[in-house]
Amino acid sequence: MPPRPGRFTGNTSPNRRTIFALLIFIFVLSGIHTELVGQQLQATESQIKAAYLFNFGKYVSWPPFSSEHFLICVLGRDPFGSALDEIVAGEKIAAKQAEVRRIRSFHDASSCQMLFIASSEDAQIRSVLPELANVPVLLVSDLPGFVERGGMIQFVTEGNRVRFLVNLKAAQKVGLTFSSELLKVAKSVQRDAPGVL
Amino acid sequence: MGDSTRAHCGLFNGNLEGYISLRSMKPCHLRASVRCPQVVVLFLAAALAVPALAWGRSPLESDQQTLKNLTLEQLSNIEVTTATKGPESAFKTPAAVFVITGDDIKRSGATTIPDALRISPGVEVAQIDSDKWSVGIRGFGSRLCRSVLVLIDGRTVYTTLLAGTYWEVQDTVLEDIDRIEIIRGPGGTIWGPNAVDGIINIITKTAKQTHGTLVSAGGGNVEQGFVNFRHGGGTKSGLNYRVYGKAFTRGPQFHRDGRNFDDWRSGQGGFRMDWSRGNHDAFTVQGDIYKQEDGESVVATSYTPPYSRVVDANAHLSGGNILGNWTRTISDKNDIQLQGYYDRTNRHEPNFGDIRDTYDLDFIQHLRVRRHNVRWGLGARFSEGTNLQVVSGLTFSPAERTDRLLTGFIQDEYSIIDNRLALTVGTKLLHTNFTDFEPEPSARLLWTPGNKASFWAAFTQAVRTPSDAEHDFFLSGFVGLAPDGTPFFARFNANRHFRPEKLDAYELGSRLLVSKTFFIDVAGFYDHYRDLFSEDLTGAPFLESTPAPAHFLLPAEFGNGLLGQTKGVEVAPEWRPVNWWRLRGSYSFLRMNLEKSRNSQDAGTAPGIMGSSPEHQLSIVSSFDLPKSVSFDFDYRYVSALPGQMVDAYSTADTRLAWRLPHGLELAAIGRNLLQPSHPEFGTDPGIPSGVTLVGIKRSAYCKLTWVH
Repeated sequence: MPPRPGRFTGNTSPNRRTIFALLIFIFVLSGIHTELVGQQLQATESQIKAAYLFNFGKYVSWPPFSSEHFLICVLGRDPFGSALDEIVAGEKIAAKQAEVRRIRSFHDASSCQMLFIASSEDAQIRSVLPELANVPVLLVSDLPGFVERGGMIQFVTEGNRVRFLVNLKAAQKVGLTFSSELLKVAKSVQRDAPGVL
Repeated sequence: MGDSTRAHCGLFNGNLEGYISLRSMKPCHLRASVRCPQVVVLFLAAALAVPALAWGRSPLESDQQTLKNLTLEQLSNIEVTTATKGPESAFKTPAAVFVITGDDIKRSGATTIPDALRISPGVEVAQIDSDKWSVGIRGFGSRLCRSVLVLIDGRTVYTTLLAGTYWEVQDTVLEDIDRIEIIRGPGGTIWGPNAVDGIINIITKTAKQTHGTLVSAGGGNVEQGFVNFRHGGGTKSGLNYRVYGKAFTRGPQFHRDGRNFDDWRSGQGGFRMDWSRGNHDAFTVQGDIYKQEDGESVVATSYTPPYSRVVDANAHLSGGNILGNWTRTISDKNDIQLQGYYDRTNRHEPNFGDIRDTYDLDFIQHLRVRRHNVRWGLGARFSEGTNLQVVSGLTFSPAERTDRLLTGFIQDEYSIIDNRLALTVGTKLLHTNFTDFEPEPSARLLWTPGNKASFWAAFTQAVRTPSDAEHDFFLSGFVGLAPDGTPFFARFNANRHFRPEKLDAYELGSRLLVSKTFFIDVAGFYDHYRDLFSEDLTGAPFLESTPAPAHFLLPAEFGNGLLGQTKGVEVAPEWRPVNWWRLRGSYSFLRMNLEKSRNSQDAGTAPGIMGSSPEHQLSIVSSFDLPKSVSFDFDYRYVSALPGQMVDAYSTADTRLAWRLPHGLELAAIGRNLLQPSHPEFGTDPGIPSGVTLVGIKRSAYCKLTWVH
C-alpha cells in the first residue's frame, strides 16, 4: 500500500523554559540538603562486613592491653580483599593505632584484639574456640551457628542486607563489654550460657 | 566472584571477561527543525574537559570512606550488591554496551520492560497504545522490532512468525531482574540470528540472590491494579529456588474518538531452581506460564462484504516455557555450557491466530590458551507453528510450518599487549530453512591505555534472515469500490525468494573515566544496508476470481528493494557530584538515508521508514538519596518528531518518590508522562494497511507498597 502522505507539522524544540525550570528545580532541591549521607548506598557484602568490624571496635570495650597496636586478625581465606585494610588505614581503635593481620593458625590469635574467622575454617571451629576461651579477643564470623557454639558476633544475610547476632555471655566471660548501641542494632542477643562447643 | 550458576547467562559473568557472554548472547532522517537542547551542550562541554584529576574508583562503587562513617544502624540497612555492574564492567568491552541495573528499573518507576529501556542511548522506544510498543536500536523501530535480538535468560523471545518481538508477553517480576544489557550494533560473533541492529538481554537474578519473600501491590489511573509476589529460599546442600506470581490490570490510553479498546489484563507465574554441586557443576531449571487479554484494534479484511472492518476486540495470548542449563567448570581455563528450552506461545488475535512450539538446544565452550580467549558454540532451534485463519484477508500458506535454525560461532580474543590491546575476531555461521549458510564475520579492536580510558573499533557483517511474514504470508488490504461496485484489493503475496537483509557495520567508541565522579561513554556508527525489506508492486491491477466474489487485485509482495546507510552518535555521561545525587544522561543522534535500489518495484516506502525513527533523543535522569530513607528520582525525556507516523516531537517527564519504612516496607509514589495530559508516540508500521488513529499516552500516576522479608 502506498504510504500515507506525511502531514508533519514541524513543531519541535523542547521548550527552553521547561529545561531551565527543570535544572533550577534540581539545583534548588540539592541546595536544601547539603550535609546528608546517602542511606541507600550500595556496597558489596565484604565491604559492609569490613565496615562493621571497624565499627565494632568503637562499640566494644576491651580490658587494658599493653601492645601499641589494636590488632584485627583474619583467620582463614580472607574475603575482604582490600576493603578491610582501606577502612582501617590511619584509624585508631581504643586509642591505639589499628592494624590488620592475616594469621594462619589460631595459636597466633592470642595477641589479637579482634578475630574474624573466615568461613573456610568451619572444620576447625571446635578446636579454635576453647583455645580462646580465656583471652579477651572479640570473635566474629559468618559461619552458620557461630554464636551457638560460643562465638561472640555472627554475621547473617537477611534479604539483601547484612545483620549480626550477638552472644553476650561469651563476651562477658572474657572481660569484653558491649555498648547498648551495639545490642540495640543486633538482630538478636543471646544472654544465657551457650552450649559451648 | 559472582555466582557461577547462570551468572554466565549474561554479558558479565562476574569475571569481567570479554563482551561475549558465555551464554545467552545468542547468536538483535528528515531534517526536523529542532535546536539542540541546552543541556546537551552542557554535557558535551563537560565531556571535552581535559581529564586531569586524581585516580579514583568508578563512580558507581560505594566509597569505603563513606561506609566507615556510617552508624551501625545505617550499615544494617545497606543493600548488598554484586561487585561487577555498570561502567566498570562495560569498560573493557569493544562494543556499544549499556547496562540498566535492577535498581535503575526500580527507581524509574517503569512497570514494563520496554519502558525500562527508555534511558538507554541508541534505543528508540515508542508506546503505540496500552499494550503495544515500537522498539528499535539505531533506527528501524517498529511494532515487531525485526532487527533486534531479544533474550530473557538465554531464551530467544524473537518470533520467526513475523520477525520480531511481541513485547506485551515479555514480562517478569521486575524486582527479579538483575540487569538488562543492551548492545547497540550487530552483536559481533554471537550465535543466533537477527542481532543486526542490536541485542537486548534481560537477565534475572539467581535464585540465591532472591531469598526471602517479596510482595508488592499498588494502583493508579492507568496502572489500575497490580500485585507481585515472590518467595525464595535455599538449602545448605547448594540448592536455591524461587517461585513468583504476578497479575495486573491496565486501563486504556487516550483515544480522541472514545474507542477505549486497549485495556489489558495479565496473570503470570514461574519458578527458578539453581543447584551447584561442588565447584564444578551448576544446574538451573526455570519456567514461566502466562495468560493475557490484550485489547486491540485491527483491520479485518475479507473478500466478501463488508470487505474491511475495524474490529476492536481482545487478543487472547497465553504461553509458557521451561529452560534448563548446565554449566561445568572443567578447569579455570576451560568451561562448557549446555542449555535447552521449550517455549510455547498461543496467539489468538481478532484477525489471525498462531500457535507455536519452539525447541532449542545450545552448547558453548570457553577456553583460555596462552594469549587467546576462545569461545565457540553450536545451536539448533526448531519452531513449529500453526496458523489459524480467521479472515480471508490474512493467511499463511502453508498453514503449518517448521522453521529450522542451525548456528555455530567461533570467536578469539587475542591479547596483543596484556591488558592494553586486544583484537577479537570471529564469525557466526547461520543456516535456516529460508537461507543457505550465511557467514557473519566480525573484527574488533580494544585499546585500554590506562584504567581510565578505553577505545574500541569494530567491523561486522550481519544478516537478518527471512521470516514467515515474507515467505508464507498473504496480507490483503481493501482499497475501495470501483464505480460498478466491484471491490478493489491490494495484496502482499508470499515471496519465497525473499533474501536475507544484509548489513556492513563500522563502529567506534570510547569510554572515559574523566574524574572520580564523572564518566562518559561515546559511540558512533556507520551502517551500510543492502537488500532491505521493501513493498513491491509486482504488476498492474487485474480481475481475480478467487477467492470469490470476483474483485480487482493490485498484486504486491515484500521484496528486497531498499538499500542505504544509517549513521549516528550516542553519548551517555554519568555524573555523581555528591554521594547522594546521581545524574545520568543519554543523547542519541541518528541520520537515516534509504532509497530504492535500481530496478526495484518498491512502492515508495523509504520515507515512511526513515520518518518512523527519531533523529534526536535525549534523556536526563536525576536520582537523589535523601535523609530519613527517602529517595527521589526525576527523568526528563525528549524525542524528536516522527513525520512518517504523523507524530510531533515531545518532551515529558517521569518522577518517583519513595520512603523506606520499618519492617521491610517501602512506599512509592510514581508519576509518568507528566508534562502533558497525553501525547502520541507511534501509530503503526509504515505502509501496512490500517485504520488506526494515533493513541495518546496518558499522564499517569500510581502508588506502590512493597514488603520484603
